[in-house]
Order: sequence, then structure tokens, then C-alpha cells
Amino acid sequence: MPTTANGRRARTLKNWQFDLIFAAAIVLVLLLFHLISGGSFLEWSNVKGILSRSAYPSFIAWGFCFLFACGYTDMSIGGVVVLGSFASCIFGNWYGLPGVILGGLLVGLCLIFINFLIFTYSGIPSWIAGISLAMIYEALAFLLKISKGTKALISTSLDKEYRVLGQLPWCFILLLIGLVVVYFLYNRTTVGLNIRALGGSRDVAEKLGINAKKTLLFVGLISGILVGVSCVLQQSYAGQTTVKTGLTSINMIFQPLAIYLLAQIIRERINIVICVPICAFILYSIFNLLTMLGVPSGTLQEACLGAFIVIFGIVGSRKVRGVVK
Amino acid sequence: MSGGTILEIHGLNKHFGPTYANRNIDFTLRRGEVRGLIGENGSGKSTLLSQIAGLYRPDSGEMLVNGGKYDPHSPLDANAHGISMVMQELGVIGSLPAGVNVFLGRTGQFAKGGIVDLREMNRAAAAVFEKWGLRMPPLNRLTENMIIEDRKMIELARALSIEPEILLLDEVTQSLSLNNRNSLYELIARYRDMDRSVIVITHDIEEMIRITDTITVLRDGQVVGEVVSAETDPDQIRMMMVGRQISGDYYRDDTTPDCDGETVLSVRDLSVPGELEDVSFDVHAGEILGFCGLSDAGIHSIGKAVYGLIRGSGTVHFLPTDVNITSAPQALANHIGYVPKDRDREALLIHASIRDNAVLPSVEELRAAAGLLPPGRVNSMAEGIRSRFSVKSTGIAQTTDALSGGNKQKINLGRWLAKDLRLLILDCPTRGVDVGVKAAIYALMKEAKKNGIAIILISDELTEVLGMADRLLVMKDGRVTKEIRRDEDFTEQSVIGVMI
Repeated sequence: MPTTANGRRARTLKNWQFDLIFAAAIVLVLLLFHLISGGSFLEWSNVKGILSRSAYPSFIAWGFCFLFACGYTDMSIGGVVVLGSFASCIFGNWYGLPGVILGGLLVGLCLIFINFLIFTYSGIPSWIAGISLAMIYEALAFLLKISKGTKALISTSLDKEYRVLGQLPWCFILLLIGLVVVYFLYNRTTVGLNIRALGGSRDVAEKLGINAKKTLLFVGLISGILVGVSCVLQQSYAGQTTVKTGLTSINMIFQPLAIYLLAQIIRERINIVICVPICAFILYSIFNLLTMLGVPSGTLQEACLGAFIVIFGIVGSRKVRGVVK
Repeated sequence: MSGGTILEIHGLNKHFGPTYANRNIDFTLRRGEVRGLIGENGSGKSTLLSQIAGLYRPDSGEMLVNGGKYDPHSPLDANAHGISMVMQELGVIGSLPAGVNVFLGRTGQFAKGGIVDLREMNRAAAAVFEKWGLRMPPLNRLTENMIIEDRKMIELARALSIEPEILLLDEVTQSLSLNNRNSLYELIARYRDMDRSVIVITHDIEEMIRITDTITVLRDGQVVGEVVSAETDPDQIRMMMVGRQISGDYYRDDTTPDCDGETVLSVRDLSVPGELEDVSFDVHAGEILGFCGLSDAGIHSIGKAVYGLIRGSGTVHFLPTDVNITSAPQALANHIGYVPKDRDREALLIHASIRDNAVLPSVEELRAAAGLLPPGRVNSMAEGIRSRFSVKSTGIAQTTDALSGGNKQKINLGRWLAKDLRLLILDCPTRGVDVGVKAAIYALMKEAKKNGIAIILISDELTEVLGMADRLLVMKDGRVTKEIRRDEDFTEQSVIGVMI
């Protein structure tokens, strides 16, 4: 039970009560979706599709947890995903499943780590540096697409037999492994606590002996691995990646960002790392339902998503009576 | 004070740009000694402690701990030499739980196989609170939702968790209410008994004389004298601090309550769940109504509730305009001002300029056609506040975070007094300010009172409310338990008897 500003007890919901209500609300919403869709929403094939689709953005949203926790942002992640997915596809077609995994993982890891080297040592605000890097990565992807030597490689889809990681049960298993690893990294390791301390107050953190630069490079490493996994999942799910130019790669981070924002709203009651896959599932359930109802994908669905986030934010941030922030 | 020398400082110098913060400091601390450091805001006290704690490196000079050369490169290095500090500015991470904050930077000691055992860490944190008799906040709760006092307790626990031989306390007591302050006094006494040493900075001279063995007085970055606490008095200390005689009677010297003026505010049955219960009172024009109580008494919630920052049941009726105050904008529009306790987090835009901070509550009055703020009017008002309240600064464009605590408070208070107010709510207005600024604030309160402004004075310092208030409401557990008028039994003993 939370205490008030005076340190005395206030009448509020207990954590288990909140969890129960939250779980019941999700079940009710899903049942409602099922009814609205005329009984097709909860069909296993449909649920499987939503689960598979939720995996890739969940890893990016977890990456955001670390990025935002230390007070940084990276606008180039979309560009990294495009390049990583290309690598996953090319190496996958050459070397099979190990190529799919290593190609995406290494490109994601290296590029995000390079980004963090630049953020840490250049002194340029990360959102500005991120936009510049996004332009570079987009241009690089475009060059690969038009260059004689790589054009054919880029245009070829990933062979179907190497796409297993984007399908159930593998994407779900990866999601579970990711959940456990990220949960412990974020909440229960010294590096996770140091990252969060750095975002809280770099000045205080440094006074307490936390090495800011080293910690930031750890953020680059962790986020790089998470983005790398999402490159693998993205390629395995879609089989092909489109080249983005004119900073349109930034669009690719909006859905993971929406997931992060949803998770952020309820983080006071449920750990943000656990919230991420739940919110990803909710988000893609909404998209799925809208598609079933014939709402055109794109702008109209995104408008619905925006409205949903606003409503969720209002409900989620309502102050519990007696608690003064 | 029994042992030999534990800390020696010879010829220490530190400057920031052209300003000397410390000049040729010589200082010796003995084992089991409680030493007070006192001086006006900007006299170099915190800079000296910061160098001892490894936050700053001296420009020149030498420090010795237990006879060995001591040149700390960081606070962790100082910890390794048995020295830790509780800083004046808040030093907790809001996005982390209290238990983690106690061991932040040292969480690795609880890691097994790379995973930090949070339960073990919380157990260790709880043991520190228990050992030193400190009030323990919920250890799993994020500190961003905690009051300033709880956050200070966490910092204190963090400093004590390394079992330091020398504990440095920079204006800690000012953030604490009476009961927690008493816990700290007991802690200091225990430290002395354990033959460990403490250096304390506080602006409360009487408190300093009471809790220390010796006092070092600093002025303009230099040591101007050292006295034995038992052999000195507040007037001598004040004179050493400012270099001239300052009378101790900066409080009111009359005993006549002034509570017969027109009623300005009428609060009835004000309740905020978990904070206030059925609080009712009136405030009159030209009256100073004091509120005091222990840390969980709810006195700080009174200011917030009256100003409309927290809402509950009951009424806050502002009589001059016949409105019930339910929100801060409404309070502001009805000539009510509020100076909160937590200056840096709740009152000032700490990274904004003096100009922006000074004019913020007066934007409506300054606004010209089409909502534009004429720079001339804005600058003139900010300059006026800066000069009227003698804010030591380079100009109105200077950022507020570069100012000393006293000068920040002058802006915080001055911007309200520059307005046409009917009611002013002051929550711990002299927290962390020196004797000179304190005297200036009391003088401003007396002037405001003379001009018919009703004042609600909430304070953790009993002497302050007793010295300034016409009436005093003593609170306990969110309720008003006693009202005492200035012409009645207006003494510390009678108030403490009700508070506890």
C-alpha cells in the first residue's frame, strides 16, 4: 500500500488487486474484440499471427527501455533495422539459419554500438546525431540496392526454410527468452541499475562513482543486441525488407515507440519490461481488429492507435486517491 | 573529543574562475570531535566540505588523514579513506527505489552471478536505518514520489552505510522536522561516543552551538576564527560571520496577537485522505498564522491544499473575492502566493534565468495586447526584484542554478512580494539560508504584515513560528490539536508537549 506525502497510509489498490483487474480487463477486451469481429478474432490462426507480429517490435521497445532510461534517444534504429535485415537475408541465403541469426545480430549490434560511441564521445545531442546517422544508413541501404554487385542479393527474399524464427513457436520462445534476460538485465544487475541512475541524474550518478561513459557503452551493447534480434525477427517474419529513404526509416520506430509509451503508462504498477510484450500484443490486436473491420491500414489505423494511446494514457495516469506525487 | 588528530588541512585553496571559494584554509579535526562550519551563503563552507569529500580537487594545499597524505579523486576514493558526506543539494535518483539508492555505485557487492540480490540489499539498507535510528521510508518505492525529508534520510543512510570515520553533513537539519532532527542529534552524539568525527554545516546558530564541540567560522572563503561551542554565544558567532554586530532579535519582540483584522481566508473541514482531517481555521488581514508539527503531522499539506495543489473535501473560502479555491491558477488569480518548501524542485525553474523566474507569477499582469510580453516591462520587473531584494548575481540573465541558496530564496519570495497579494503561504521560507538572509526574510514578512497581507507560515523550526506568528496551530496526525495565541503560553515547551 503506498504511503502519502506525509508518510501515512492511503487507501489504494494493492498490487495483486491491480494485476487481477488488469488481467481481467485484457481478457474482457479480447472477448469484446472476438464478439465485434463476428467470432474470428480469437481463432488460433489469428492469435498466432498477432503473436508472431508482436515479437519484432517488442525487442526494439525493450531497447528503448534502456535508451530512454539513460536519457538518450536514437532516431537511426529504423535505418539499422533495414541494414540488419538485409544482412540477415543475404547471409541467411548463403549460410542458412546461422547466417540469418549472425547477419542481423552483428549488424544491429555493431551499428548501435557505433551510434553510442558517437553519442558518448562527440557531445552532439543524441537525437540530432541519430537523425544524421539515419540518413547515412538509409543512403547505405539505397546504395546496396542500386549497386551492381549487391542489387540481386538485396532483391532476393529470404528462403522460406530459413524463416522459422519469425513463426510460432520460435518467435514466442525468443520472446520469452528475451523477456527473462531483459528483465534481469534491467532490474537486477549492476549495469541495469547504473543505466537507470544515469538517466535519473548523471551528476548524482557520477558523484556516486558510476562511470558514465562506460555505462553508456553498455547501453549501446545491450540495445545493439536487442535491435540485432529484432532485425533477425523482422527478416524472418516478412522475408523481405524495403529500402527507406528521405528519413522514412524513422517511421519504423513509431510502433515500438507506441508500445514503449503504453508500457510507460502502467510501469508504476507492472514492471516496464513485462509490460512491453503485453502492450505489443494489445497494440497488434487493435490493428488486427481494425483490419478485420475493414479499416484501411496506414493513416486511419494509425489515427486509431493515436487515439487509443491518449485514452490509455488518461486512464492509466489517473491519480490514485490519496497519493500525492 | 578524546583522540588525536584525524584530519589536517594546510593552506588549501580553491577558486572558480576569478572567484576564490577557499583561500589558504588551515583546519584540524580530532577524533571524536563534532565540528561546526558556519558562515554566510557563499563563504566557502560547502566548497571546503566538497574537497574533503572528493567532489572537488583543491587548487593547492595539502590534506592529511590519520597523518597520511589524502588527495581524494572522487567521493568513492573518500569513502575508501573512511569519509562520506550528505550533500546540501538532493542526491538521490528518483527513478530508482530507496533501497537501491542507499547502495548506488556499490550495488555490485550484492551481486551473485551477475544478478543483484535486491532482497539482500534492502535487508542491508534496513539494517543501516535501524542501527542509526533513522526513520525508514518504504525501500521498494521509487524516491521520486517521496518528500524531501525521506530523500534526505536515504542520503544519510547512504553516507552511514560505509561506516565512515568522518561524517560530513551539509545543511541536513534544515530539511528535517523536529522528530527526525532529534534522531540526527542522537546520531551525532553516538558518533562522538564512538570516537568518530563529524563536520556539520547549519545556518541555525543555536543548533550549532548545542550539537558541536567547536565551531570554525568562514568569511569570504577564509577561516576567520575558531571557537569552543560551550564558551560562545549566537551574537559572537553572528559578528564573526558578517564582520559586524547583528542583533539576535530579528524575530518580533511584541506579544500582542494581530488577529482581529478582516477575515481573508476561511478554511472549513478540509480533509485530504491520508494527509489532513477536518482542518478548520481563519486567517485575517495583517496576521501571521503559524503551523507546526512533527514530520507526519500534515503541516506541509496545508499550504498545498490551500493553494489548490492537492484537493480533498471541505472548503477553502477566499473572502475578498468570495470564491472557493480549488486550483492553483484560481489561487494565483485571487492574489494568493505560495512559497513551497522544496525550493529547487517545486518553486524555481532551476535552469532558467533570474528574469524568467522573477516574472513567472506576474505574467498575466505583464501581458500586453495579443498576449505578448513586452521585454521592457519584463526586464524592468526582474531588475526591480533583483535590486529590491539584493540578489547577489551577475544580472537578470544569470541562470538560477548558479546562485546560492539564500539568493535563490530571495527570488522565490521576492517575486511574490512584488505582486499585489492578499494572502501569502510560506512553507519553511528560511530553509538553508544564512543569518543575514534570514533577517531580511523576517523583515520582509513584518513589512508584508504591516501592509495588511495575511500570511500562513508553515515551519519545521519552532523558534521561527514562535518568533513570528500571531497565532499558532499545532498539528498532529493531520489534525489541528491546539491553537495558541501570541499572548498566551507561547513557548517551545507548551508546543512540544502538544506535538509529541
